[in-house]
Amino acid sequence: MSAHTHATPHAHHGGSYLESKGSFWTNVIDWATTVDHKKIGVMYLFAILFMFFLGGVAALAVRLELLDPVRAVTDGAGKVMITGQLFGAADANSIASGNDTYNVLFTLHGAIMVFMVIVPSVPGSLGNFVLPLMLGAKDVAFPRVNLLSWYIYVVGSIFAVTSIILGGVDTGWTFYTPYSTTTALGEPKVVLMVLGAFILGFASILTGLNFIVTVHKLRAPGMGWFDMPLFVWGIYSSAIIQVLATPVIGITLLLLAFERFTRIGIFDPALGGDPVLFQHFFWFYSHPVVYVMILPGMAIISELIGVHSHKKIFGYRAVAFASLGIAGVSFIVWGHHMFTSMSEVASTIFSGLTFLVAIPTAVKVFNWIGTLYKGSISLNTPMLYALIFLFTFSIGGLTGLPLGTLSTDLHLHDTYFVVAHFHYVMMGGTIMAMIGGIHHWWPKMFGKMYNERWGMIGAIVVFIGFNVTFFTQFFMGTRGMPRRYASYVQEFQIWHQVSTIGSLILLVGFLIHLFVLVQSLLAGRKAPKNPWGGLTLEWLADSPPEEHNFAHEPIVQCGPYDYDTHVPHHWDPKDYQIPEENLRTTAAH
Amino acid sequence: MHTGLFQNASTTLADGFWRDLWLRSPSPTENGRETDSMFMFLWWFCVAWFVLLMALMVYWVIKYRRRPGTDAVQSPSHNTPLEVIWTVVPSLMLVYIFFRGFWGYIDKIVSPGDAVEMQVIGSKWSWDLRYPNGMQSPMTDKIGFNDIPVFYMPAKTNIRLKMQSSDVLHAFWVPDFRIKQDVVPNRYMTVWFNAEGPKDGDPGTKKHPSVVAGSEEAKKHPELLVLSGKPYTQHYVFCAEYCGQQHSEMAALIRVVSEDVYKDWLEKIGTPSDPIELGKRVFKTKCASCHTLDGSRSTGPSWLDMYGRTETLTDGTTVVVDDAYILESIFEPAKKIVKTYENGNMTSFRGLVSPDQVQGLIAFMKSISQHAPKTEVPAGGTPAEAPKTETPPTK
Repeated sequence: MSAHTHATPHAHHGGSYLESKGSFWTNVIDWATTVDHKKIGVMYLFAILFMFFLGGVAALAVRLELLDPVRAVTDGAGKVMITGQLFGAADANSIASGNDTYNVLFTLHGAIMVFMVIVPSVPGSLGNFVLPLMLGAKDVAFPRVNLLSWYIYVVGSIFAVTSIILGGVDTGWTFYTPYSTTTALGEPKVVLMVLGAFILGFASILTGLNFIVTVHKLRAPGMGWFDMPLFVWGIYSSAIIQVLATPVIGITLLLLAFERFTRIGIFDPALGGDPVLFQHFFWFYSHPVVYVMILPGMAIISELIGVHSHKKIFGYRAVAFASLGIAGVSFIVWGHHMFTSMSEVASTIFSGLTFLVAIPTAVKVFNWIGTLYKGSISLNTPMLYALIFLFTFSIGGLTGLPLGTLSTDLHLHDTYFVVAHFHYVMMGGTIMAMIGGIHHWWPKMFGKMYNERWGMIGAIVVFIGFNVTFFTQFFMGTRGMPRRYASYVQEFQIWHQVSTIGSLILLVGFLIHLFVLVQSLLAGRKAPKNPWGGLTLEWLADSPPEEHNFAHEPIVQCGPYDYDTHVPHHWDPKDYQIPEENLRTTAAH
Repeated sequence: MHTGLFQNASTTLADGFWRDLWLRSPSPTENGRETDSMFMFLWWFCVAWFVLLMALMVYWVIKYRRRPGTDAVQSPSHNTPLEVIWTVVPSLMLVYIFFRGFWGYIDKIVSPGDAVEMQVIGSKWSWDLRYPNGMQSPMTDKIGFNDIPVFYMPAKTNIRLKMQSSDVLHAFWVPDFRIKQDVVPNRYMTVWFNAEGPKDGDPGTKKHPSVVAGSEEAKKHPELLVLSGKPYTQHYVFCAEYCGQQHSEMAALIRVVSEDVYKDWLEKIGTPSDPIELGKRVFKTKCASCHTLDGSRSTGPSWLDMYGRTETLTDGTTVVVDDAYILESIFEPAKKIVKTYENGNMTSFRGLVSPDQVQGLIAFMKSISQHAPKTEVPAGGTPAEAPKTETPPTK
């Protein structure tokens, strides 16, 4: 590096990474062959938002069907009437085909949302964009592998979408055997969906591997492990799980496809296999992957709460170690999905282990709320989402208790209580965190501010819609409504109706956000470098960052949340310039 | 007195409104009530934590909101005793919850040695229960378009259900009893319960309609006479493990009656000597989830006018629906599939129906088909009508 003694961080301005490279097709080729982590992050973001739209349409279809399915109602005089003919006249045939459609739609919703949205959501989009910036790196450790992972994601999604076009799969996203190895034999759609999930696994492994190496090798000079932002800790923990657990689902899904083709018994008891073996294999991946989904969400929340409270995170090390602790424990609790199909001894052991996960999770929530104490809290869209997260995720976590408790789980397993619980964790956790994160880093990603007032209104509408949709489902579950039912006995209709109304409110909330973000891209105010007053390195880069992120490699001399020692008195976080003595460049050495 | 009043009010609050909101009504089994009490404990435990956390959050967000020009008050970013306390205290609470849940679970999962054992077979998409004397319940009720079986159970008796599946995974769930067990093919799984049964003044207790002795109905179904006017409680059985197209129609009803009524009833439900009546009974309990009698297509073909018809198979060949084809289709449904039913959703009923029952089904199909040879139509029977009570001699 040239020997400037006092170069400012912005001495050599490269162009922004978003700058046009020439004609339309030149740009298309540039993006399609880019190895820039920022462009790959943006491409992931749009791919994931598209899949979220598909999965959301399936969810709305499911909720609309449940508004008034075909069912028998006994009137006061004891006469049985068939009701629920909203979508056409009802006869036995329409029940059969209606059930088929419903089963395909909920499978689609689950498979898309898990494999194509929530698992890759935060690491693929925000992780790719922000993590190298936070570490002061030019890119991830293996930029070409990073691009490869995006293409693998697209190919895997195409497999899954093809199976939809061929009529869809009705196995549920869990592919439980022997149903999944015997349904629609002779048709390729189940195998296509299974292979889609198999392929998506590689995208996940490659992203995880990339992040682990990046965190180990590419931290800026002066950044020790405990100087890393908590976002990095969370993404790092989830990357470890991705690399270790994903191969197991890959092997399992291949065995499933193998059994379908060869009819050699692995899981199907009619062929000499064991269906419970599949459940063990499946959850050995799919439980840890729950934490692949939630840890990045928690990672975002640590960041949002620290930055918008302008205060050092309470118990930084506890939060960091809780992330690793959750990642570790996540591998030994898979059996709690199988209390109703395992031996009593195994159930007991897994129930005990499951409670272990509750501890680090609770510690994190305490630390986040403790951070608010004596902070200087700016309430804007990202912070509002952090508070929404604390509300919904706490409900999601606490309702895990009756599910981890053996006696109550025997009642609640496979009911709407479980559906509500994991939506509070996955959607109320990861998705809420991700929307908050998108708003938080939006100015950095696209160099434009969004409309704060409408962002907050959108957040409130989403919050109301979410709770109306899913809190009702807790009551449905405890009162006796099984999940994955195309129809129900009459007493559940009122609950389903409230839930469906909630899902429509949720839709309105998402549309508001969509308009706010599109408006920002088209006509948003230019974003300053550091709109929120963050002290982590990404706020040192331009908005949007130049192609190589930083003009000079930064040196870290201040912790990610050192607001107590490193900001001036009476400072204004809005458009705060991080002073050079906090973050010097290599040129200064 | 005052304390009494207070206790009353607090019990109402804890066990009345909220319990009914969450769990509809108290469970009629003792183990179920322990589950209820565990659940309500967890509910208040969660409410306490949640309110504490949210109150602090909202209060601090308002109190410490950013005021331009005012700096944050300095506060420690770490406090070891506090952090140890908020790790250890919840851990201890979780230990208590784990053990209490474990005890409740053991009570629900380990059945008493003296329990009356009954067999349950789950198949796509019906529940089949056999009483200790080998009999099956002839009673059905309706959910959606389907007839679902009604199982009569004696009150205040330990009952163990020994369950298996004939095809894919199912789960036997009685929400009111708070018990659930996956039913896995090639394995025996068990659940047990001991239900209180009907009580005077209990809002859940209903009464059977009266049947007059000597009436047409009583002659046809002598078991109804035993139930006439007798009280019962009714509980849903749902399949809780996804099992395909008609998963949501795979239900049954448990009716708990007093032990005496149960005993009388069990004596009365023999196998009908009329094969058509037997076939109709088997149809309602096992086949009605996929086949209709009115000519409309469901998962499978309607049985109206099916017997004796010539069908085209998926490979283009034709077959006449006769005794042999029906027998084969019941045991090996995937072997010869009629065109447009390529999905082959039917499960094999080998082991689920006895030879007598197959004969009954065939007789029943003949009785509702105009293609059936005229000579075999029961005397006086008009083809498209429900079977008659006149029993042709079958000895």
